Amino acid sequence: MALQEIWNGTVSFSLVAIPVKLVRAVETGRVSFRMLHRKDYSPLARRMYCPKEEKLVPPDEIVRGYEITPDKYIVITEKELESVSPERSRTIEILEFIDIKDVAPVYYDHPYYLVPSKGGEKAYRLLVEVMRRTNKAGLAKFVLREREYLVAVKSTDGALSLITLHYSGEILPDEDLLSKVGTTRSREEKIESEEKSRMKKIIKEMTADFNPDKYADERRKKIMKLLEKKAKDKGTVEAPEIEEEVEEGVVDLVAVLEESMRKVKEHR
Amino acid sequence: MSKKIVEAAGRRLSLSNLNKDLYPSYGFTKAHVLEYYRRIADSILPHLKDRALTLKRYPDGTEKDFFFEKRCPVHRPAWVKTAKVIHNEGPMTVCLVNDLETLIWVENLASLELHVPLAKAGSPETPDSIVFDLDPGDKANILDCAKVALILRDLLLQMQLESYAKTSGKKGLHVYVPLNRKEATFEDTKRFSKAVAEVLQRNYPEIVTAKMAKESRIKKVFINWSQNDSAKTMICIYSLRAREKPTVSFPLEWEELEILTRQRDPEKLLIMHSEAVSRVGKNGDLFQEVLTKEQKMPHYL
Repeated sequence: MALQEIWNGTVSFSLVAIPVKLVRAVETGRVSFRMLHRKDYSPLARRMYCPKEEKLVPPDEIVRGYEITPDKYIVITEKELESVSPERSRTIEILEFIDIKDVAPVYYDHPYYLVPSKGGEKAYRLLVEVMRRTNKAGLAKFVLREREYLVAVKSTDGALSLITLHYSGEILPDEDLLSKVGTTRSREEKIESEEKSRMKKIIKEMTADFNPDKYADERRKKIMKLLEKKAKDKGTVEAPEIEEEVEEGVVDLVAVLEESMRKVKEHR
Repeated sequence: MSKKIVEAAGRRLSLSNLNKDLYPSYGFTKAHVLEYYRRIADSILPHLKDRALTLKRYPDGTEKDFFFEKRCPVHRPAWVKTAKVIHNEGPMTVCLVNDLETLIWVENLASLELHVPLAKAGSPETPDSIVFDLDPGDKANILDCAKVALILRDLLLQMQLESYAKTSGKKGLHVYVPLNRKEATFEDTKRFSKAVAEVLQRNYPEIVTAKMAKESRIKKVFINWSQNDSAKTMICIYSLRAREKPTVSFPLEWEELEILTRQRDPEKLLIMHSEAVSRVGKNGDLFQEVLTKEQKMPHYL
């Protein structure tokens, strides 16, 4: 089965640049269904509906609101959101190498594979091999679909895998967790080919302890800052009250009850 | 360990821990509990019959932990009648307390309180009654409940519906409107009871609320209409309650409730085990009609 390519670009560190493609490593086993119109099986579409006006709302009338309390929002435009989104990038820039064992499983978000693009095969195999032998993983920042991810690039069964990691701010507090981040160990190394040892040397130079606190979700920070600013400058907006629609049957029931209640009160 | 083999309807039952004090501050042992249920059996059994029992067990008495058990314990004797009902996660086997020996077996498990749904296990979607669960909030008491119950009775009578009241055995009162026609669904009875509760709230806002929130219940009687639900259970009439003293959920005639409301003594609305047995001996089951009276729920469309 041909793996679906999600992204292509290069993995780079120091002076090395390896052209790669990003492909999915897992597919959820969930069985999904399409909603169809029973009478002729036309697939159905979702539309935005305003319960107050009881009608469909066209896209140009829709804005985003960040809910601060029920029915109270800060309005954010598409433009404002774009202004805080990271630039799409063509590189997975490895910032440092860490010991993969130091990354607690709770940080793992979603796995992908990197496959070599034309011309990158040799360097790719080299990196796979060296990372395997040294038990190291590259830590990189990477923009996928408007979000900047912290990712680990590591050697898995002769290929490179890429795992998106949670930012430390997303991990629910666990006092013991950060103490689990240990130190890297050096290893006995044999003399190998010049290229290999050069790559190893770079990795060694770039090796650091895995310290997830160093990285933060920049976009989230920016959005929150933007929201604070907007709330201060422009204030919030409030949703109108929606009168609860009373079903017709109930209206009559209530009328009968009120009438009965009136009679009861007369007699008491 | 006190153990005793008894025979009920020709079936042998081994009763255990008979000397265990299940109401320690009152001195009411498991033997007393079994004796109470044996003497009230004729009255309570028709109300338990064919309904999925929820056991509320107090193995170490009312002052220690309890647990609810909806599934019929697997170690049950072969003669215990059961039914399969659909629960949140698939089918579940429940106990049906249809005879004295099952009642005694259930009480030997220290299930002081017996809770049952408003519908029978065989027709789980059609309740036999509408219920109004009157629950006093902070700074309100059972006398306030009685006042609301009397207004509720009058309102229902205006709609040609007879109703029956019982004490919860704790702080509240329960008003039952028998239907017994297998017509109305829980959706219907819930809608009706909610509308009734809201009308009472609108007309008597100083003493009635139809809202669940604790803060809106202060000094008021909360009419809990949401009990009209296939997933909910009510304390069975004549069941003991697990409080300090062995009180009972007990039926009261409307005239009696009027008199007690005028006397303004909330204690008189707490019926104890001994009073329950003697009153049932004298007056029979005042809740019998709840099982048999057929009434049509008003259906307005």
